[in-house]
Amino acid sequence: MDAKFSAEAKDLMGKRGLKEADVADVVKTAETSNRKITTGKVNIAKKRIGEVTVYAKYDADGNVCNAYSHRMVLGEPVKTTDTPEITKWECVHCKEKAIAGTVNMTYMGITRSGPAIVCPKCGDSWVEEYLATKTIAAAEGLFEKKKA
Amino acid sequence: MDEKLGESSSLCPECLKVIPAVKYAENDNVYLEKTCPEHGNYKVLIWRGVADYKSMKAYACVPSRPEKYAVTKEATCPVDCGLCKDHAQHTCLVVLEVTNDCNLKCPICFASANERYHFNPTMEQIRGMFQTTIDYVNHPICVQISGGEPTIRDDLPEIIKMGKEMGIDYIEVNTNAVRFSQDIDFLRKCKEAGMDSLYFSFDGLTSDVYMKTCGRDLLAAKLKAIENCREVEVGVTLVTVVSPDINIHQIGDIINFAKKNVPTVKGIHFQPLSYFGRFPIIPKDENRTVLPDLLKEIEKQTKGELRMDNFIPTSCTNVHCDVKSMSVIMEDGSLFPLTHRAMGPPKDTCCVATKTRKEISDLWRYIDESLGADGEEAKGSWDEFIQRARTNYLTISSMPFQDVWNVDTERLKGCCIHTVTPDGKLIPFCLFNINSVHGKTLYRHEILEKYAKWGSS
Repeated sequence: MDAKFSAEAKDLMGKRGLKEADVADVVKTAETSNRKITTGKVNIAKKRIGEVTVYAKYDADGNVCNAYSHRMVLGEPVKTTDTPEITKWECVHCKEKAIAGTVNMTYMGITRSGPAIVCPKCGDSWVEEYLATKTIAAAEGLFEKKKA
Repeated sequence: MDEKLGESSSLCPECLKVIPAVKYAENDNVYLEKTCPEHGNYKVLIWRGVADYKSMKAYACVPSRPEKYAVTKEATCPVDCGLCKDHAQHTCLVVLEVTNDCNLKCPICFASANERYHFNPTMEQIRGMFQTTIDYVNHPICVQISGGEPTIRDDLPEIIKMGKEMGIDYIEVNTNAVRFSQDIDFLRKCKEAGMDSLYFSFDGLTSDVYMKTCGRDLLAAKLKAIENCREVEVGVTLVTVVSPDINIHQIGDIINFAKKNVPTVKGIHFQPLSYFGRFPIIPKDENRTVLPDLLKEIEKQTKGELRMDNFIPTSCTNVHCDVKSMSVIMEDGSLFPLTHRAMGPPKDTCCVATKTRKEISDLWRYIDESLGADGEEAKGSWDEFIQRARTNYLTISSMPFQDVWNVDTERLKGCCIHTVTPDGKLIPFCLFNINSVHGKTLYRHEILEKYAKWGSS
């Protein structure tokens, strides 16, 4: 399935410095491998491209409605509770309901935790837009912006 | 000479004549050498580590020239300064002197304060210097009120207020802090008038250091002034003159002291002793702390918590003029550096200074937005790290000034720290202060004397 981009999506990607080809690659790879989470209507997929993990949020027809990225590397989930909250997302690969979990995230040699959607079976995790564009962006910014 | 690294011009330490200079590598050191036809040859150490010296060039910024120049005629650098069209960098920080009198008479003083004449400009003359700044410098405009000792003027709060009302964005006061140690109300008045922070001379943590740098024991006064700043909530940058003969062994202790006094202390600026103004000796190479010497000491005395690689040029002024590092202070008190040379030079070196200021302020706003209103970040989370970074960070920087021996017009042309003069000029700070072995300056005394009174004050 080829990704399709509305003018709005293109505008957002432009602002976030994301390449259309990379986001299309994320969708294509997810559709081939079945590595994605879904609500039935909307999918979230991710792929590490170079130094960046790129995310695409898209519907069953490949219409991309959102895209974002982070440079941190996601690590192992951290167990914080015995009764995790179940999310609306399902891991397509494992056919398992995903939980609202906590994951180690590493950047510039420092590892801290942060919230993510986690598949309890395969342990794969997905960061939501608010975190990637707020907290993670701020943390990455602390390192990156201070270069100049 | 192993390898020639560049040609420039410099000054004769005896007669201040402009003479050609050559920079070259020899035994892994970098030297500047020059010959005055009348007074002979001078060879000065300017850097240790030839590869390191060359690697700094990757950080060079795209010059962002001043928009307007006070000097429009054909000019010879550096004797017709003001600035002129040959100047390659805009102004980042303006140093504005409001007196040359001082409540101390230190054996080491770049301004040769408290001697010969009394320069105490009127409010109208100070208004004129603020206006020159506004006319020639783009926003955000940062001014350092300096001297002499600015706090000896009872009207300092009015001066600060006037600057802010005229549109200066940021005002720091360069001070020995003696008055602020005794008079917390005066400190409060300065803050209320709009003073943003203090550039606070702090040479060490033992009395003997101050006996050498200031001629008297100021340790208790310095500590008391920092307490007062904590109470009034005025941020402080500690400024430490560094000399291999006086206090280089205290660098680690000063960094530890700063860590314990964050967030009142925002940063430390290590200032290798420059031989201009009043200084105790005619320097030999062993009396000099070149930047790599300082960074090696920091690495050694912090036991590797901060390494040489954590210091990068600001890419604003000439790449051989300054370095900085920024670190978060972690829960266990250790420094976590956010700057590292492995990250490479900034991708876009155009207008670095303006961008840096804007990006940093954007970043803090961003961080504010990203944090929950409850301030309860999970332990060990990125949220908590960001919260720490916002309040528990320390900037350590250094800028060795040029003196009449090592002055290099190429560095002067890239300078972004300029002294504003009462006759409407902006002059690179080092150049303004440089004096010959006989005490003659090109600018400081020649300009200020015209506006000064003679005799005892």
